[in-house]
Amino acid sequence: MLAGQQRAEAGALAAAEELFLPRRLGWLDVVGRFVRRKPLGAFGFVVILMLAAAAGGAPWLSRYDAEDWFMVSNPSYLPGSLQPERVRDTRADPSWRHWFGTDQFGRDNYARVIWGARRSLGIGMGALAFAVFFGSTIGIVSAYFRGWLDTFIQRIMDSIQAFPALMILLLLVSVTEPGLRAVAVGLGFVTVTGVQRIVRSTVLSAREDPYVEAARVVGCSDLRLMVVHILPNVTTPIIVIFSIGLGTVILAEAALSFLGLAPVGASWGMMLEEGRAYMVTQPWTALSGGAAITLTVMGFNLAGDALRDVLDPRLRLT
Amino acid sequence: MQQYIVRRTLLNIVVIFMVISLVFLALRAAPGEFALRQAGAQITDVSSMEEAIEIVRHDLGLDKPILEQYGRFATGVLRGDLGDSFVSKKPVMLELKDRLGPSIELGILQIIVAIVVAVPIGIVSAIRQDTWLDYILRFFAIFWLAVPSFFVGVLLLYSFARWGHWSPPITNYKGFFEDPFLNMQAMVLPAVAGGLATGAIIMRFLRSQMLEVLRQDYVRTAWSKGLRERAVVLRHALTNALIPVLTVIGLLLATVASGNVVLETLFQLPGIGFYAVNAVQQHDYPVVQGVVLVTAAGLVFVNLLVDITYAWLDPRIRYG
Repeated sequence: MLAGQQRAEAGALAAAEELFLPRRLGWLDVVGRFVRRKPLGAFGFVVILMLAAAAGGAPWLSRYDAEDWFMVSNPSYLPGSLQPERVRDTRADPSWRHWFGTDQFGRDNYARVIWGARRSLGIGMGALAFAVFFGSTIGIVSAYFRGWLDTFIQRIMDSIQAFPALMILLLLVSVTEPGLRAVAVGLGFVTVTGVQRIVRSTVLSAREDPYVEAARVVGCSDLRLMVVHILPNVTTPIIVIFSIGLGTVILAEAALSFLGLAPVGASWGMMLEEGRAYMVTQPWTALSGGAAITLTVMGFNLAGDALRDVLDPRLRLT
Repeated sequence: MQQYIVRRTLLNIVVIFMVISLVFLALRAAPGEFALRQAGAQITDVSSMEEAIEIVRHDLGLDKPILEQYGRFATGVLRGDLGDSFVSKKPVMLELKDRLGPSIELGILQIIVAIVVAVPIGIVSAIRQDTWLDYILRFFAIFWLAVPSFFVGVLLLYSFARWGHWSPPITNYKGFFEDPFLNMQAMVLPAVAGGLATGAIIMRFLRSQMLEVLRQDYVRTAWSKGLRERAVVLRHALTNALIPVLTVIGLLLATVASGNVVLETLFQLPGIGFYAVNAVQQHDYPVVQGVVLVTAAGLVFVNLLVDITYAWLDPRIRYG
């Protein structure tokens, strides 16, 4: 009986080990679990990967250059007439040659969507890098020192936030020389307030943690405390902000391009704007631009939501 | 409560003051030679570019010491004087006044569309949590959140023109009180296009609020009293779930105002967003600055109103 009990205990222990001390998960297990638990989030990541591939591999994936225009033989050409023999292949329907059709200048829509990914992602990354750098610096400093400095900074942030984002962008775009960098900085600027608010609330609780106190007792300087001990706490929220923020920024860039206020180039917002005049006869240009924006923003939103749930559920309502 | 209102109003005056300063700084810090040249190009009745730039400098007050500039600018704003437009030469305030109506109307209509769509969907999605109905409704919310409102606008215009043989009156805009029928024809599509995206945000938030409230003790009590589902959900749960939603609607107003810049331009509605975009294209700085100031100040006060309503609806909130 004693032996039986021992065996049962050993079995229970093994089962408990199986349950509570699983073997170290490989990255494949992690991915598999994520896909099973968050299928929509996984879909978001697939979209982001596609976008990254399109942006990185644009010259190889796009088939043609975004600015190339194509010619076809003129149907109304007669030998001896004044009509040109070949004309631009404008507003063509999708075909094997032009997967998404062509726009009113005879440029390939598919190529413009692919090159547009490079522009959207480039501007988005630039803007987010700007926003995260300044946002976390402001947020950490504001929460670490508290007192009048915190109040002062937060009032400034409140007043920036009082502006509708697009209005600030209009103001910035109107006074600076047009360029992709200006657009990225402008978009980054309007994102700073949101980033700093989340960083600040994280730091406010982190600065009271015992290890921060310990480090202070040992004699760390303010700068060292902020960079070495407090900054790592902010990484999780920043990853989430990065994902959701990219979607928002890309949407804003599309809106600016749509309004004709961003520099000319292969841009989804501009495709939508250019194609909309010919919507009734040939909707492909506008549709491919609009669908690209929608899919991208959806991808970043879904991935961001899932990341937040997995990494830090406390961020849910912020 | 009174103390709270006074405190918030004072705080808002500080914020408005900062808003004025920020606009002032943005226009003083950024415009280099390029901006001045662009603005100068709008002034046609001068003989040389240098002269035009001088006029712009003078109109913007850039030829005076910075503190004096700021003093003039701030007092001007407080007196309601936003300067004159470079292009039309009329006072900006006068031009803005005519354009506020359509913008406010569009904003209100969008919020109405958003609430009408979001509240029933949010409720159903919460009380039927994790059923296929919930999944479909949530997918729609995710979808409408991602589609840009101007893409929806383009698609709506296209669909109505193609299959309905109808398009909104674009050239002759009439105010709501002049000709409500014509006015609604111009407003309905942008209101729907903008309202759906806002509705998606409200719906998601209302759903999570409802889920939380439905698990409260007093809701269980209501159930065990034998009340019908309708009474429990609408009277006990919804009234409490809606209070935080109100704040979100307040915060969303800034987003609504942003989105309407694009929608007004797309649908050619003579609101302040459309006006601002035109002004940016023409480098008409006094107008851009005026529009930005007026919208920011308006939003600050609307948010104050929302917060006060919030405190009034939820007696637990005392704000320290």
